[in-house]
Amino acid sequence: MSVICKDVKMAFKTAAGSVSVLKGVDFVAPAGMLTMLVGPSGCGKTTLISLIAGLLRGASGSMQVFGHEVSSMSASMLVPYRLKNIGFIFQQYNLLAGLTASENVAVPLVASGFDWPSALAKGKALLDTLGLGAHANKLPSQLSGGQQQRVAIARALVHSPKLLLCDEPTAALDGQAGQAVMTLLRDLAVAEDRAAIVVTHDPRVYSFADRVVHMEDGLISKVESVSSQKHPVDSHSTLH
Amino acid sequence: MNLVAFKILLHDKAKYVALVLGVSFATLLISQQSAIFHSLMHASTRDILEANQADIWVMKSSVETLDQGYPIAELSVNRVRSVPGVQWAVPYYQSTAQLRTEDGRMKLVQVIGIDDLSMVGAPQEMLIGTLDDFDQPDAIVMDIAGYTNIFPGVAPQVGAIVEIGQRRAVVVGICYIGASWSGMPRVYTRRSLGVSMARETLNPVTYVLARAASEHSPEEVAKQITKATGLKARTRAEFMDDTRTWILKYSGIAENFGITILMGVVIGVAIVGQTFYMFSVENLKQFATLKAIGINNWVILRMIMTQALFVSTIGYCLGIGAANLFFAMTSTQLSGGLRGMFMHPLIFVGSGIFIVLVTLLACVVSVRKVLTVDPAVVFRG
Repeated sequence: MSVICKDVKMAFKTAAGSVSVLKGVDFVAPAGMLTMLVGPSGCGKTTLISLIAGLLRGASGSMQVFGHEVSSMSASMLVPYRLKNIGFIFQQYNLLAGLTASENVAVPLVASGFDWPSALAKGKALLDTLGLGAHANKLPSQLSGGQQQRVAIARALVHSPKLLLCDEPTAALDGQAGQAVMTLLRDLAVAEDRAAIVVTHDPRVYSFADRVVHMEDGLISKVESVSSQKHPVDSHSTLH
Repeated sequence: MNLVAFKILLHDKAKYVALVLGVSFATLLISQQSAIFHSLMHASTRDILEANQADIWVMKSSVETLDQGYPIAELSVNRVRSVPGVQWAVPYYQSTAQLRTEDGRMKLVQVIGIDDLSMVGAPQEMLIGTLDDFDQPDAIVMDIAGYTNIFPGVAPQVGAIVEIGQRRAVVVGICYIGASWSGMPRVYTRRSLGVSMARETLNPVTYVLARAASEHSPEEVAKQITKATGLKARTRAEFMDDTRTWILKYSGIAENFGITILMGVVIGVAIVGQTFYMFSVENLKQFATLKAIGINNWVILRMIMTQALFVSTIGYCLGIGAANLFFAMTSTQLSGGLRGMFMHPLIFVGSGIFIVLVTLLACVVSVRKVLTVDPAVVFRG
């Protein structure tokens, strides 16, 4: 089980006419692996993960995410699909400013039907695991960038999604904080029944990947497998 | 998710306060001005309210409003009494006259001459003295607001001697009367005395006040009076309506207050709408994040409506509280133009419903913006 995209094509209509962004992408992100999607700006990385996440519609081809054919889902079906199956980590963290760290982590659980107290308890427990227990009651504005991204990782994982989508998770962080976040991602995000896709421009973090998929001009140009010996952290603990 | 909505709302305290103050100000403006308008309309029928024993008012056919009473012949009283269904009918005199104090100051006053025997139309709330004091020679009872106007700085007391229409008058009592349309000091006296104060000799009656016998409806008896006497007869409620309608038509008060109330609406919609819109736009990315996570539009809509209802409820409570405080401080005064003014329960409820609707309306635009935001925006840096 994994993410399998076949011949995915996507074009955007602009004033100047139709612009083809994905030109027949074949992409696989196997479960139990951290797949990095790299390439120059405008090559279609974000479009591809937006399609996989069900945030964008209108592509042709097939996109299977753990058995769900995303391309044939209606807009109303995509909402619960995202809630149940996908965890997001964004470049700018996108934490809710008025909520504390533990409340931010609890949001996907509350949206899934958990009551606040149990969702908060789970959120706090996960933050403890990430070494942020002391910051659980702080607002995002009271946390550093690295701490905010770790809270975002907790939020992305708290409901045990099958697919983790990370968009430039280290772009807003300095080198040390970026390495720490990637270490955490490798430690917690990669599990046997979960696929993780990280979009990045940052070559310093390529070594954390199991596979590096290069995109160029709307197509996959190269796929590299990274030796497990190169991983800074070998033990893959999992979260459920 | 309502808790999340509250937290998002309360996080930006400056905007939250601006939203609440906007709603409060609009509520204050709308409810206070509506209540003053309603109270003024109520006050315009002051004499009808005071003479509450009578359920039919008989007058010249040309009379359109309470303060426009024209003198009619005294014989009219007996003609009304003779109409079947009339339980009783008494004369009532109303005019303006010039009052002169002992030290020579002049004031225009409203003289109300009540029936010497029945005392129908006499003040209902005597502060100093009793209705029996009307029997004293040259007796007048003055309303307290008028007394403080005529004798500024003097504690209300009986015994003051004045001249009304070149006739001696002695203040034998002080009464409380709510604000009236004209705002003139009110002098109550026996009709026989009032007529001489106004120097009315030919037709010493302005209205005939009547009561329908218990087995007859006032409407039916009023029609019978008109038919039998040729005079205009209106039930109490009809005459109040006539008076209010005339004032609305000729005074410009409806337009004046209407503009102020409309301003309240515009300010409310503008402040609340703009602040709410800005609030939603600034939080667009947060809503987009929630949508990306998998929260559907219905839940988002509920969150925004919860925020709007919370803001409007708090703002309404503060605004209506301030309006009521205003009336609590002013309406209990014995004198002054705002005395006796009050907020009708319908204004209380109506302004609440209106404010909630205005707030919901104001957030419709921002709701559209939030509901149509592309969740993929979360990937755009």
